[in-house]
Amino acid sequence: MGLEAEVINELRRAVGREHVIASSNDLRIFERDASIEGAAPDAVVLPANTAEVSAVIKIAAKHRIPVVPRGAGTGLSGGAVTIRGGIALQVTRMRRILEIDPVAQTALVEPGVVNQELSLAAALHKLFYAPDPSSQKACTIGGNAAENSGGPHCLYYGVTTNHVLGMEVVLADGSVHWVSGDAPDRVGLDLCGVLVGSEGTLCAITKIKVRLLRLPPSVATLLAAFPTIETASQAVSAVIGRGIVPAALEMMDQVTVGAVEAHYHAGYPTDAGAVLLVEVDGIAESTSELMAAIRTVLGENQGYAMREAQTPSERDLLWAGRKGAIGALGRIKPNYYLHDGVVPRSRLPQILSAVGEIGVHYKLPVANVFHAGDGNLHPNILFDLRDTDVWPQVENAGEEMLRAVVELGGALSGEHGIGLEKSAFMPWVYSPDDLDAMWRVKGALDGAGIMNPGKIFPDPEHKRPHLAGRTGLAVEAKWW
Amino acid sequence: MVVTSRTVEKPATAEEVARLLHEAAEAGHAVFPVGGGRATQMGDPASRDGIEIRTTALDRVLERSQADMVVSVEAGITLESLQAELGKGGQFLPLDPFNSPGHTIGGLLATGWTGPLRLRFGSPRDFLIGIRVALPDGRLATAGGRVVKNVSGYDLMKLHYGALGTMGVIVAASFKVFPKALHDASVEATHESMDQAWAAAEQALAMPMAPAALELFSTGRVLARFLGSPDATRRMVAELGWSEANGSVWTEHAKSAPSLWARIAAPRHQLRSVLDELQVDQQWWASPGTGIANWAISGSTDEVRSIRALATAAGGSLVLMAGPDDFRHDVGAWGTPPATLHLMRRLRYAFDPNQVINPGRFVV
Repeated sequence: MGLEAEVINELRRAVGREHVIASSNDLRIFERDASIEGAAPDAVVLPANTAEVSAVIKIAAKHRIPVVPRGAGTGLSGGAVTIRGGIALQVTRMRRILEIDPVAQTALVEPGVVNQELSLAAALHKLFYAPDPSSQKACTIGGNAAENSGGPHCLYYGVTTNHVLGMEVVLADGSVHWVSGDAPDRVGLDLCGVLVGSEGTLCAITKIKVRLLRLPPSVATLLAAFPTIETASQAVSAVIGRGIVPAALEMMDQVTVGAVEAHYHAGYPTDAGAVLLVEVDGIAESTSELMAAIRTVLGENQGYAMREAQTPSERDLLWAGRKGAIGALGRIKPNYYLHDGVVPRSRLPQILSAVGEIGVHYKLPVANVFHAGDGNLHPNILFDLRDTDVWPQVENAGEEMLRAVVELGGALSGEHGIGLEKSAFMPWVYSPDDLDAMWRVKGALDGAGIMNPGKIFPDPEHKRPHLAGRTGLAVEAKWW
Repeated sequence: MVVTSRTVEKPATAEEVARLLHEAAEAGHAVFPVGGGRATQMGDPASRDGIEIRTTALDRVLERSQADMVVSVEAGITLESLQAELGKGGQFLPLDPFNSPGHTIGGLLATGWTGPLRLRFGSPRDFLIGIRVALPDGRLATAGGRVVKNVSGYDLMKLHYGALGTMGVIVAASFKVFPKALHDASVEATHESMDQAWAAAEQALAMPMAPAALELFSTGRVLARFLGSPDATRRMVAELGWSEANGSVWTEHAKSAPSLWARIAAPRHQLRSVLDELQVDQQWWASPGTGIANWAISGSTDEVRSIRALATAAGGSLVLMAGPDDFRHDVGAWGTPPATLHLMRRLRYAFDPNQVINPGRFVV
């Protein structure tokens, strides 16, 4: 299809000739994010500021061309994929930290700022930005806000929506608005809260005001081994049930630990059925008391080989193993299909055993590495893309795992979003009336449907996502 | 026109709420959802008469899972009943609104009323994980779920929180709940000058373990609450050096409910500059860590307008929480509408095109 030459020229006039990409070879680079399915855009536009974003969206609105905002392309549900073609609105030129206010403990950033860059800049003021997706070395704050991203430390600190104070957004007609801001209890509807997590289907985000938190004076990180994934799951419930909410409570199964240890040599016990990584922070009295209580509870639940990080570099190594776990899985199979579902925490043993059985049934290795404290599981189905016969099994196994999550009272996604990947499954958890309520919001803010069409809502025209476009190798993916 | 008489309905099921709402909408009547009736003077006086739907018969706990730290309730349950239920398992909902007791959960979500614990735990906006509402077309729509982390589709909980029921009548909600702290200590001090009192508040807020609640009063009193492990809490109390207070001070404080009452919100480091402009005889209390103050107005409407102008200039607001109809009519409950009002109206229109629910009361 492609865009008419006149449209390309309009876009070039809006952002500068060199900031519009329209040759088919170059466009292929932008056809994917970190999910399963790809589709090339008709043009990639790289605006420098809000006015240019607005101009681009106005051109798109005039010609009824889809617009898909895109940050680092690290999303795992296809949010940044131009499934209906159109314009990929690449915001990575807008990557300035505009302000860090150490008194108000806030930061104002452009959408292309990388998550970890913000925390590094904030650290100069003894502050940090709490949501920490495993992709934080690459993913952008704009993408985080669009997807309402999580991360290991969201157990205690909450997800992105709990930390966004306000945003400047461009709506589907190109109009620019500030939603919310520094003051609490805004008058009127919480537009900001509705737009965070709307996956680019309601607006493009051009500035984000976020809350920063004081860096805790003391952090304690503990690794504990368990004979089985079930005993580790029970230990998680026991910790929380004792009234302790750690800053992070992560689990890795034996498959994952083996790959991680071979790669990082972080001292993970490879004989264990599962390991837990537990972190508490606060003042020293608090972390030592909590850690002592946690050790007791873990011990009562068959935890062994407990090892607490003695230095910041030991802590970093333990976390490097966790955050780099999925990349390390490339040692087992070159490709992975990473799922994201949430169950009530007490159902972890059931869902993990169901996931294991599904893997056995389809003869596919499955590696689990996830946010146990939140009940947010991430089964990775490992396979080799070159073996095309296995594709249907990988897809069916993933769907069955998600089905099991829903049957246990869970949610389709805890932090990766619905995007393309799970839109067909939305009716599993929402009634037609529930989905109709979401459609009303979409209709009120983007009646013409130009913002990221084909996402979130079930699309009868869209077949199930398939692996044909999947070319990335797990070993390249260092951050999940 | 001030509403004086209404038909009252007390539905016992969510389906009945939806049916009543739909029938009212079809007949062209307005509907006024009421929970515990603790915030009936919030907002502008209603623009027309109609049917009052009291949710107090919807008072069941639908599901409580101790291990999952999640609870689902019907909207008409009172906060006190819910806390009693959660307390059986050593848990609680960190919500301590003023004008207590008697708030219902639905009312608290619709009004967005909070209390001192917001400093540590945030507002229900942060721990509401699911909601069910009745819509004027008779449908029941659910958003979110019963898990603590969920990005499946739009976050419509945000659409209803603080919307004064205008986007749908809340019939049920699910929350992430919290374990009761291992140790709970309260301390207080009273200072001669407000300068000293503000300095004391800032000192407490800067402690290495921040207080879970910190309230400052126009009398020069400061009241702080620390939640945490015993050693950590004791260290904070010792370092601060204020006198220990009985935990019941918070229950007493939560009863605060001036008959003429405004909530002032500002970016937290600018709250003082607004409050400093109040006449010295005015009574107020504030949460300097969150940027919210409550003012027991005894001044003139002109003083309310001038303080509102200051709060608005700082990026904040002054909203009337209670007061006679004529006073609210005169001053306006909400102040200058936000610049995005037209977007909010589009959303409201999509859910309630004929303004059946709470007509005239909300800013949108």
